[in-house]
Amino acid sequence: MTKHAATKISPAQTGQTGQPAKQHKRLGTERVWLVLARRAYDEPLRQIGTVEADDGDLAGVYARSIYDEFAWIEMAVVPRDALLTVIGA
Amino acid sequence: MSKALFDLMARLADNKYYLGRRYAEWCSSAPTLEASVAAAAMAQDELGHARALYPLLRTLAPKAGVALDAEIEPETRTQFFTMMALSEPFVGWPDFVAANLLIDSALTQIFVAAQTSSYEPLEGRSRKVLQEERAHNVYGAGWAKRLAREGGAIKAAIEAALRRIWDETLCWFGPEGLDTQSDPLASTGTLDATPDELRARWLAEVGPTLVAAGLALPLRQNATTGAWELTESLPWDRWDADRYRLRALTPTTGSAS
Repeated sequence: MTKHAATKISPAQTGQTGQPAKQHKRLGTERVWLVLARRAYDEPLRQIGTVEADDGDLAGVYARSIYDEFAWIEMAVVPRDALLTVIGA
Repeated sequence: MSKALFDLMARLADNKYYLGRRYAEWCSSAPTLEASVAAAAMAQDELGHARALYPLLRTLAPKAGVALDAEIEPETRTQFFTMMALSEPFVGWPDFVAANLLIDSALTQIFVAAQTSSYEPLEGRSRKVLQEERAHNVYGAGWAKRLAREGGAIKAAIEAALRRIWDETLCWFGPEGLDTQSDPLASTGTLDATPDELRARWLAEVGPTLVAAGLALPLRQNATTGAWELTESLPWDRWDADRYRLRALTPTTGSAS
């Protein structure tokens, strides 16, 4: 006869009833956007980070708010899922 | 000094000041990190706009003396022309989004109408304000659509939040029925529109967003003219024309207090 190890649920995972904690519904998953920017005209655009947003307009708002550490002369956002893999990692 | 102009500048400054404070209260509590950072940026924008407007009160009433000095700075000001909707902190995220979509855009409509204002300090500030408000508009529309898309209780919450501030936002543009000659701001060229025209412009701006999101508000688009119209009359019996806000309904009698 095979003995199955008891599955332990940690206190952090349970409510006071000992049942698994109720997962709150998250808002719908958002698209990931790559943020590209450059500081000078002789520099190439390079990725400086990412934001998550439903659409390009909101992604642009987020990118400007978050990545404001430099006076960029150009900034763009592109959805990560628009990338076409040429050589896979 | 035109009282109408002074009152306009005071209510613009006060509502921007309080809108900035309400935004700031949520800049660490928005549903996503990106939304929180953008909320902080919007708070800074609104508070900056208020800071640029308050000193104009002194130039509009230079002989008001020491009493006005205390009333210029928001920290010592005692009489605010703030909308009732901004008088208390937002209870939840839908309230933030509703204020962003409706109240923020209503304030922006004044600056749109002031781009060729005869009052040069307002005309000069309008261009910068409008540049910064573009991002606020995108934010409010994006989040309203997102919450509506969730359906169920979340959609119901954003609809309720919008409905709570709908009437006051529309009344805030000013009394109905004034024409270019009878409206003190339009007749002097301070604004290029009467209150009814400002309301129409604002409805044309927010109407498409609300309808596209499937949010039930009392408006419709006229099939013939394409104009956006209200389907319910505004509660002018509750309008406080001195403080430019709606009086609250009393809980027991339902009458204005």
